Amino acid sequence: MIELKEMLKSMISLPGLSGYEKPIRELITTSWEPLVDEISTSRLGSLHALRRGNGALPRPAILLAAHMDAIGLMVTSITDGLLRFTGIGGIDPRILPGQLVTIHGRNDMPGVIVQPPDYLLPSSQHRKSIAMEYLFVDTGLMADQVKQLVRVGDLISFRQEPMELKGNTLAGHSLDNRASVAAVTQCLLELSHLQHAWDVWAVATVQEEVTLAGSITSPYEIKPQIAVAIDVTFAKGPGANDWRTLSLAKGPCLGWGPNIHPYIYKRFAETAEKLDIPFQKELMPRHSGTDAYGMQVVGAGIPTIVISIPLRYMHTPVELIAMKDIERTGRLLAETIARLEPDFLDKINWDEVEDEEK
Amino acid sequence: MKTLIKKLVETVGPSGYETRIREVVRAEVEKLADEISTDAMGNLIVRKGKKTKNGLKIMLAAHIDEIGVMVTHVDKNGFARFTTIGGVRPHTCYGSRVRFLNGAAGVIGGERLDNQANVHSFENMFIDVGATSPQDSPVKIGDVAAFDRPFEDLGDRLISKAMDDRVCVAVLIETLRNIKSSINELYFVFSTQEEVGTRGATTAAFGIDPDVGIAVDVTGTGDTPRGAVMDVKLGAGPAIKIKDSGMLADPNLVNALVNCAQKNKIPYQREVLLGGSTDARAMQITRAGMPAGCVSVPTRYIHSPSEMVDFHDVENAVLLLTAFLSEAIVL
Repeated sequence: MIELKEMLKSMISLPGLSGYEKPIRELITTSWEPLVDEISTSRLGSLHALRRGNGALPRPAILLAAHMDAIGLMVTSITDGLLRFTGIGGIDPRILPGQLVTIHGRNDMPGVIVQPPDYLLPSSQHRKSIAMEYLFVDTGLMADQVKQLVRVGDLISFRQEPMELKGNTLAGHSLDNRASVAAVTQCLLELSHLQHAWDVWAVATVQEEVTLAGSITSPYEIKPQIAVAIDVTFAKGPGANDWRTLSLAKGPCLGWGPNIHPYIYKRFAETAEKLDIPFQKELMPRHSGTDAYGMQVVGAGIPTIVISIPLRYMHTPVELIAMKDIERTGRLLAETIARLEPDFLDKINWDEVEDEEK
Repeated sequence: MKTLIKKLVETVGPSGYETRIREVVRAEVEKLADEISTDAMGNLIVRKGKKTKNGLKIMLAAHIDEIGVMVTHVDKNGFARFTTIGGVRPHTCYGSRVRFLNGAAGVIGGERLDNQANVHSFENMFIDVGATSPQDSPVKIGDVAAFDRPFEDLGDRLISKAMDDRVCVAVLIETLRNIKSSINELYFVFSTQEEVGTRGATTAAFGIDPDVGIAVDVTGTGDTPRGAVMDVKLGAGPAIKIKDSGMLADPNLVNALVNCAQKNKIPYQREVLLGGSTDARAMQITRAGMPAGCVSVPTRYIHSPSEMVDFHDVENAVLLLTAFLSEAIVL
């Protein structure tokens, strides 16, 4: 039996930066294997896990995409034994100085991110949080030793340990988007004691943080009838309080906007209401910033929705989530899937749903 | 090979207008191909060999298009206003010469600046083709031109306005010439419209549906005074791309290329490029995706009319690709 919080803590203790997802893929494979009928890896490294439904063939399929890649850093050059680096994915240089990191050189080794003193920097950088190109990673080793152990292109990942905070919350790096992988895992657990007509493809995608590559390629191979991206979204917090933010611990967020098929939204909302699962409506007027953006236009097009888990301090090593949101997301996914009738696809229509604010 | 490079770089062919350069390339590769075709995007596709038991279907792409300009308006005194095709930067334009597809030449001039220390914006510049009115101008709205500079051979170092990416077109042609037999099925794609969004490689990769995609393109360097912070330099070997701003190369493909270089004692460099991308970006996400990477020729002053490469890097790129493609590739 999988203990969800422990699984998530293991996941956020691993690297698995975009393009280099192997360590996290192996852990997810172990967790998902008992819950699915087939499991394979795509040519780009996305994990494809099929849980068959019991409907008649040809059976429709729903794809659940949660990206497993994490943001991080990459060595660009080595100067006097110190490592210069660039970001993989959206890294905010303001939060970097003082961070503990792991350098994945010939062996893994610890390091710290440091900034030169103010007076040694160009005047454009004085008294400011300084740009990434002026930051270094110090391994403690002498210059000639560093050259033996680290090469240009080696990865650097955050070293922050998972931290359980009060109120059944968890902080750590890579909760974007391992929290959603946990939610998909919860969904598979719930489906194992539910009947479902549709095939369910649980997909842990790669490279979402850089190019959405997994979400563009996996649906091409799987050809699902519906695609759901599960990702994190901005939770309300200090200084973050407008319409773009949602409440922590108040339930999963159903996306609404051009990236979302309104009928799929309706079906999830109805299920949530019926089962008293609290949920929030997340407005996505433009690019949803998730795998759904890639998936929606694969092949002849796929009806798509985004389901988000609120998260504070996104893209920092102390991202913070509420476990309850993850469990509820998993349950809402499973219960909605179990209610998908074999001919659901014939009923859905872009035009019939009105955007009614309650 | 220098003669081939000179011939390729001096042919005018901005993105979308690759007919002439495609014919130049076709003449070079026709006799070497098992099969040759042009697709709907104008890509020239050369197949060599057939996939055998342990072989792979591999697509290689070097783009034949170059950056350039397009006339938007010819005023009553014959001055032509223009827009850009691909990543042209204004500070490389003033005083540059351009050559139109119809052979007409022009020089880029600019309006008087209030502050001579400023750079002209595109809106403040025009092409002077020596005309005095629209009627006697050899160019009209929609005509395209490439930058015009003669090829220079400095011995080890070569200079041209279109090393990006004709030098790599030459690398692919030489590689094709060198490969005697391979267990792999090789597709040499001379791709179009890379400079306007890797568009040719997108359709070529879909059509070919290869197992692996490798772009061959230029990359920047960090070896000039107070230049970019980058660990790639001229003369230290072709660069094997790990990351650029459009993609992360497949790590197994990177390792396979590095191992091949080490085994054959070919110098190489590990490349992390902060700005720019290549056809590999398009190949990686085609269909259900494929391992993709790039072999780069280090180049100074990219997208200026004087791009500089080191000839040894070019030769070593040919050696690396020839060795890599001739053998079984395990990813």
